[in-house]
Amino acid sequence: MSEQGTRRISAKRGKASAGLFQWLLLSPSLLFLTLFLLVPFVMLLVLSFRDVDSLLTVLPTYSFSQYIDVFTTPAYSRTIGSTLWMALVTTGICVLMAYPAAYLLVRTPSRGLRTFFYILLVSPLLTSVVIRTFAWIVLLAQNGLVNEVLINLHLINKPLSLLWNMNAVIIAYVQVMLPFAVLPLATSMGEIPPNLRRASMILGAGRIRTFFRVTLPLTIPGMLSGAVIVFSLAAGSYITPLLVGGRLQPLLPLAIYQQAVQVFNLPLAAAMSITLLLIVGIFVALAGWATKRWEGRMRDV
Amino acid sequence: MSDNHIPANGSSVSGSSAPRPRKRRRISPLTIAIWAAGLLVYGFLIVPVLVIFLSAFSPQEYPQFPPESLSVRWFESLFTSRQWHSALWNSALLLLIVTPLTVILGTGAAYALGRLQFRGKQLLQSFMLSPLMIPQVVLGIALLYELTTLRLINSIWGLVIGHMIVAFPYVVRTVSVSVSSLDSKLELASMSLGAGPVSTFRRITLPLIRPGIVAGAIFSAVTSFGEVSISLFVSSPKTITVPVRIFGYIDQTFDPSVNAISVIFIVLAVAALIVIDRTIGLTKVM
Repeated sequence: MSEQGTRRISAKRGKASAGLFQWLLLSPSLLFLTLFLLVPFVMLLVLSFRDVDSLLTVLPTYSFSQYIDVFTTPAYSRTIGSTLWMALVTTGICVLMAYPAAYLLVRTPSRGLRTFFYILLVSPLLTSVVIRTFAWIVLLAQNGLVNEVLINLHLINKPLSLLWNMNAVIIAYVQVMLPFAVLPLATSMGEIPPNLRRASMILGAGRIRTFFRVTLPLTIPGMLSGAVIVFSLAAGSYITPLLVGGRLQPLLPLAIYQQAVQVFNLPLAAAMSITLLLIVGIFVALAGWATKRWEGRMRDV
Repeated sequence: MSDNHIPANGSSVSGSSAPRPRKRRRISPLTIAIWAAGLLVYGFLIVPVLVIFLSAFSPQEYPQFPPESLSVRWFESLFTSRQWHSALWNSALLLLIVTPLTVILGTGAAYALGRLQFRGKQLLQSFMLSPLMIPQVVLGIALLYELTTLRLINSIWGLVIGHMIVAFPYVVRTVSVSVSSLDSKLELASMSLGAGPVSTFRRITLPLIRPGIVAGAIFSAVTSFGEVSISLFVSSPKTITVPVRIFGYIDQTFDPSVNAISVIFIVLAVAALIVIDRTIGLTKVM
């Protein structure tokens, strides 16, 4: 056999053994995620169809009773509604605030300032959520800083009760989740060629019109990918609402936490979890569909 | 089209005096409004951190503004408290177990996903990153149920598994960034010179994707150190971590030493950030 031939064969064999090696590298993760991500979810799904007796013992029978409970009890329907509403409001505020923040990040002329903005944006992501939430308690409590400053300025006579309501949850959520909205938006804003905006202005469009006709349409995908993360985090976290909103806020993650940890009605908690997962899943799918449609439209134009 | 743009760009870079008058003209009320709005947003982001620093060094139980004097008494109480000691020990132990395991799993997975081509790869990729999106309360309860069934709930292994699940996507993401910028011709060259896939991976690939691995390790360590949503479900009184202890203190009592430990957390986070910026570049990872 010629030398070239053997080399080709050995290269082929090398490729095959490289493929085998790569599957070998992938398999421990596959095994781990199957065991501790996929299996728990299948178990949770099965559990959600289980019945319980009056002492909340799980019975071996299956039915839709937990889901019927979730969707027909007025308190739970109200909880689902207000969870959706709260997550949407949080997402909306985050997106609105993300635009000026991303603009500054992308357009700032000084590198040092940009790094500083980056650190402001990313350091909250690396700080535990309990700590960031705790700061809002210090700020908003009856004897907290906001009340103290307002009283010292003689704007109010007695402290306002700013904590333990849905507004406190939304304020804390916006602060906790804003970076997730700003970062993808800044990426897609940075990808717009500056000449595109310049062209629009040369053609006579003002800056506001250029924003609505050029910048906004091109940043819709980045905006949506940030919105998806904010929505799923806002709909699914329970630490922040528990600490600044209190246990009684009608929010689905809080209800799940209570059913699982305090009431010990695990099948009901499982059914609520699957419902929450579906809500988030539907939102993610809708945003994905909208992004695809939008990008298709942009390409056609 | 791009040919037309090069001279335009070139002229604005080389003519340093040219942009100046244009800049002056551009400072319009609109620009000022946008900058003011943006700075307000960044202020909103930073206020809670400032509050924590203010409170941690305040001598009173409740922080005052403006502060009258400084004190380190909350830091002292932190170092003398037995409960904080055991929580810190648990958190550190977890971090030392979780980080290497997650980095090994995540690096292998990110590299393999970068090189392999097969049907359903995108689906597998989304599955691997899904712990970032799945509601944490759902993740917590699902793990709680499984680990109770497996009787792993009162050991540290429940926490190890929970932390690995949430830290894993970060490692996959940072290492993927490094893998995608790695020229696969280098590996092909190594293999055609007779090195097997294992020694090529060890001697060519690993050194070249090290920045991604380092950044992934930092993200994984920081995530594990701050994790609370899943820990709250799967920890037992014996395996309480720092964030779970903080949660307990905020939820039940008020203990200002929480401020002090928060300051330590924030300083560690900013330090981690600077390391990531030096190794791989912040803008690339996020």
